[in-house]
Amino acid sequence: MVIVGLVAALLCSVLISITFGNADISVREVYSVIFYELFHLDRFSGYASGAVHDVVWLIRFPRILLALAVGMGLSVCGVVMQAVVKNPLADPYVLGVSSGAYLGAAMAIILGIGSFLGDNAVGVLAFAGAVLASFAVLTISNMGGRSNAGKLILAGMAISSVCSAFANFIIYISQNKNATAEITYWSMGSLASAEWSNIVVFLPMMLLISAAFWTQYRSLNLMLLGDDTAVTLGTDLSRARIVYMILASLLVGFSVCAAGMIGFVGLIIPHAVRMLFGTDHRRLIPLSALVGAIFLIWADVACRVILSNAELPIGILVSIIGAPCFIYLMIRKSYGFGGGKS
Amino acid sequence: MNVSAENIRLSYGAQEILKGVSIQSGSNEFVGIIGPNGSGKSTLLKCIYRILRPDAGQINLDGADLHSMSVKSSALKMAVVAQHNYYNFDFSVREVALMGRSPHKRTLERDNARDYEIVEDALRTVGMLDFADRSFSTLSGGEQQRVILARALAQQTPCLILDEPTNHLDITHQLQLLKIVKQLDVTVISAIHDLNIAAMFCDRLYVLQKGEIVGCGTPEEVLTPAFLKRVYQVDAELARDSSGQLHVLYRA
Repeated sequence: MVIVGLVAALLCSVLISITFGNADISVREVYSVIFYELFHLDRFSGYASGAVHDVVWLIRFPRILLALAVGMGLSVCGVVMQAVVKNPLADPYVLGVSSGAYLGAAMAIILGIGSFLGDNAVGVLAFAGAVLASFAVLTISNMGGRSNAGKLILAGMAISSVCSAFANFIIYISQNKNATAEITYWSMGSLASAEWSNIVVFLPMMLLISAAFWTQYRSLNLMLLGDDTAVTLGTDLSRARIVYMILASLLVGFSVCAAGMIGFVGLIIPHAVRMLFGTDHRRLIPLSALVGAIFLIWADVACRVILSNAELPIGILVSIIGAPCFIYLMIRKSYGFGGGKS
Repeated sequence: MNVSAENIRLSYGAQEILKGVSIQSGSNEFVGIIGPNGSGKSTLLKCIYRILRPDAGQINLDGADLHSMSVKSSALKMAVVAQHNYYNFDFSVREVALMGRSPHKRTLERDNARDYEIVEDALRTVGMLDFADRSFSTLSGGEQQRVILARALAQQTPCLILDEPTNHLDITHQLQLLKIVKQLDVTVISAIHDLNIAAMFCDRLYVLQKGEIVGCGTPEEVLTPAFLKRVYQVDAELARDSSGQLHVLYRA
């Protein structure tokens, strides 16, 4: 029921948000372009090309789909990471995974590492950086006894700093003004680079991985009970944990590659959904995916309209909203997986 | 179901925790494992429910070798209620009990009406059906432990392993939980701390001391003043109450 409602809300969000923007285009014109592109009706053939067509179909629409995909990917990734490390504070940004991806991307953009991969180099290196950072954090937080919330956050901060420092070092010594501008822009997060050519890869990828995680809801639930209990309930999670981390890193790597660094989505959205609908991953995964997508679409709209004639990087806006929420979650005494006392 | 463990050995580093322990349970028997702290009760049970892998020895469930079974098929044969842990998440009572159905499920199989029926029956058995939609984390320790028992019942296994399940529970809830278990038609192997409780519920007792079995038999055979002095270093006498129930009376 709720899922159907949210799917409807998501569709409405896409259709309404497309009418917002700096260019002065009427609502009628916007939908005329969309109808033409979707159904190729002759009646709207006047909108088959030209400035209005380009703004709506080549700039706004891919951008909204990118927001949808990134919001979905980061939220699902947050849910999964929280289950994998059995810690409600896990999030790609907090755990330093995004910084790993950032370092990977900086190496690709500035040092040209992996240029034999062609256009995919940035994506591949961002993904590799994300995977390495997540395993580094997991390993460090498990050293000297079991991992706990404090160790995990500290390990995440350490890895995050190291990765950012190396990335900044690369940028600093390169003296390449263009690349530096590209990196800076990218580190603040933006959906402006959306193009159909990367949407057609990126969106199905996000949907597929999210759907794959949805089928794993039973194992994700058992993860929260602990590995020992899971064995007595017939599931050995040690291998699943690694597979989930790799898939989740894939989501982060792709998001970072397409939209730069956008923090806190993976933390705030799963928590909000848990508070309202409980921890059962059968509902948590699809609901977080939908809420995350809707949230990022509207955050992007806000970025486009808050400053007149300029655009606010979405990473900045989301962090301004997200960081206080994160602090609130941390200081709340009854902090847990949405549960009671801790 | 018959459960047998033969010659189980396990060491943590240089310390040998289990020095060749053998136990067996007949079908539908309630077997208790008693012994002082650190005698290896829990370690032995953890070997049986596959959290620990023994260095040597053989465990069989109805004659089939445990370690050549998948964890899924062993979860269809035995369910576990472990020591009480505080869980901190917002699963409802029904969701927790429903997890007992997971060994019966393939990856993409959904829970069906039959699963929900089984879960309701299990919750009714432990007297927690009225709490089905409550959040698990808001329950008291005794209630949580009953829900965990319901989860084990929903697994519908012929064997139940209890690893000191009544630790931290008050006497009301200890008796309540074990009474429910006693009425079930399954094989039970339980580590029990309290000797009076063990005498009350167990058909047979194994006594572990420093990783070795030092006694075995019915409660009447095992629990004697000389034995209690030897294993627990306490003076005690045994008495029967008006209903014939055996009691251990300790002296300071």
